[in-house]
Amino acid sequence: MLHQVLRMVETAQGPVTLNELSRKLMVEPAVLESMIQFWVRKGRLVDEDAAAETSCTTGSCGGSCTGAASCAFVAKMPRSYSIKLEKPKN
Amino acid sequence: MNAATTLARGFAIDYGREAEEEISRLSAAIAETPAVISIFPARWLAIKLLESDQDIQTRLRMLQGGAALLAEAAESSARLEAIYGDDADVLIADRRYGWINGLVREVVHRPATNRLTASDQIDRIVTHRLLGIPIFLFAMWAVFKLTADASAPYLDWVEYVISGPITSWVVAILEALNLAGTWVESLLVDGVIAGVGGVLVFVPVLMFLYLALAVLEDSGYMARAAFVMDRLMHALGLHGKSFLPMLVGFGCTVPAFYATRTLENEKDRILTGLLVPFMSCGARLPVYVLFAAIFFASNAGSVVFAMYLLGIATAIVLGITLKNTVFKGKEQSTFVMELPPYRLPTLRGIWFHMWERTSSFVRKAWTIILATSIVLWILMAIPVGGAGSFADTDVDNSVFATVSQAIAPVFAPLGFGSWEATSALMTGFVAKEVVISTMGQVYGVQEVEEAGEATTFFEDIGEMITSFIAATIDTIKSIPLIVGIDLAEGEVEEEPTALMGAIQASFNETSGGYGALAGLAFMVFVLIYTPCMVAVAAERHELGMKWTWVSILGQLVLAWLMAFVVFQGGKLLGLG
Repeated sequence: MLHQVLRMVETAQGPVTLNELSRKLMVEPAVLESMIQFWVRKGRLVDEDAAAETSCTTGSCGGSCTGAASCAFVAKMPRSYSIKLEKPKN
Repeated sequence: MNAATTLARGFAIDYGREAEEEISRLSAAIAETPAVISIFPARWLAIKLLESDQDIQTRLRMLQGGAALLAEAAESSARLEAIYGDDADVLIADRRYGWINGLVREVVHRPATNRLTASDQIDRIVTHRLLGIPIFLFAMWAVFKLTADASAPYLDWVEYVISGPITSWVVAILEALNLAGTWVESLLVDGVIAGVGGVLVFVPVLMFLYLALAVLEDSGYMARAAFVMDRLMHALGLHGKSFLPMLVGFGCTVPAFYATRTLENEKDRILTGLLVPFMSCGARLPVYVLFAAIFFASNAGSVVFAMYLLGIATAIVLGITLKNTVFKGKEQSTFVMELPPYRLPTLRGIWFHMWERTSSFVRKAWTIILATSIVLWILMAIPVGGAGSFADTDVDNSVFATVSQAIAPVFAPLGFGSWEATSALMTGFVAKEVVISTMGQVYGVQEVEEAGEATTFFEDIGEMITSFIAATIDTIKSIPLIVGIDLAEGEVEEEPTALMGAIQASFNETSGGYGALAGLAFMVFVLIYTPCMVAVAAERHELGMKWTWVSILGQLVLAWLMAFVVFQGGKLLGLG
């Protein structure tokens, strides 16, 4: 079951929604999300939201910046997860 | 044994023959360790050890016999890994999820009507492989049409307030302080009010833009837009996740650069960072709105939309070119996106987003733009070659004008080779809003005051309220214009402002009568050339010095070439 999820993400042609994946695997969305979170903890998938938390240290908009989560200009993007790439062997 | 039967007989998941053998072996070892068995159930602990639970491992090390159990668990995990080719905890979790899924399928029965939610039904159209992009483009066109048309009456109102009552109040105060006619009045009126006021005039434009974007975001549509554009990126051979940072760039390029950190592959990250500046940030919008109002008044919204579209198209074409040459690499990874359900935006949510973003813009006006306006005024007040004295010289003979005049010939082939236009582009490096404030200062125009009685403070306040109400009514009338219904038909068109007239005259002169083409070329140059210095600092932070210089020089060259094609190509075709 877990490996099926990973395989589906790896072989998808382009981005795929959680609902679409849930329908293809015939798995409840809540269960699927839990499995994805498992692979994030295992390091096989990357949670983009966690990776994107940054701050504009220069405070360019004239105000103090407390990070991307509170930046007025950062549009709220959907949560996404991607395959963690293997580092190329030298 | 199915999940429901398992529940009926007592809860115990079957982890497969090999795993159950290891669990039994470990359970037996645990049962023979008194210090451990007195605390933990044997089977439960055995499974936890195979899962490599950190907390349990820590607690076990402090118990007598715990180290031996840990060693035995490590051997069991190694045996399972050799059989299944994956960690033991993955095997355990896999079996659990299989059991959970089986149970849910047995006991949860969804009526056929519930299988596809309303959001799913809408998504079948909105994220359709063929319809998704046209729907996205239409949504963005509607955003810019609404922004340009609905904000115009308020833009005029803010301009009236700044150049009318506020300027006259400042002059009256200076008269009372015996400072009228001095350099102080020039600094405040020609520097601060012309510079900062020139940018604040566009607050209504940005409010409407942020209002429209807030509605799209809060409704859940923006997530679909990101999904659809990411799919396009993937189809074009670019990284699917590239569009997410780019979408951030529509608000501000600075966080967009930092958002490229989500891309693991360095080549993809650098490539996306090089493309981010082409997503036209909110600060450039006042330039487009002003020039579209001057040269393309009846199609201003569509022209502004076209600028954003051109930015996206440039990024895509450049991305494909670079991906197949400098950044050739392995196929990028796919990803899963969690689309939130659609919901009706709340007034509070929309107001919050609109207010937060607009107030950031206003804060910038009172910091960076104010400082730049003052510096600019000083540079325009310093005479060159002995012509006049400080703050009493013709602006054409100032230090600022002299430097700009030296650079202006570079832009002559683009149709805007005047020192005024050049100076605005130079100061645009500080912040893109400064392009407008600089034009307000260098063109040095003042609205012609109609002869009449001097008004009191309260009369001014009354007039401001009356004209605000009139602007609101005009805004409401302008909304049906988006679909072509003109409720203001027959009403007298507003006269262009003195600044608009000065820009139009200047561009007509430098372009040999092709003012509209030169205006369009100027907009294209502003779209493509180097972003503000803060964005460049963020770029250097994320991409390194080498790629930052490549980006700066590349954008300048590309901006010049594209503006050249627009102007000269348009002339050849007999346009404008």
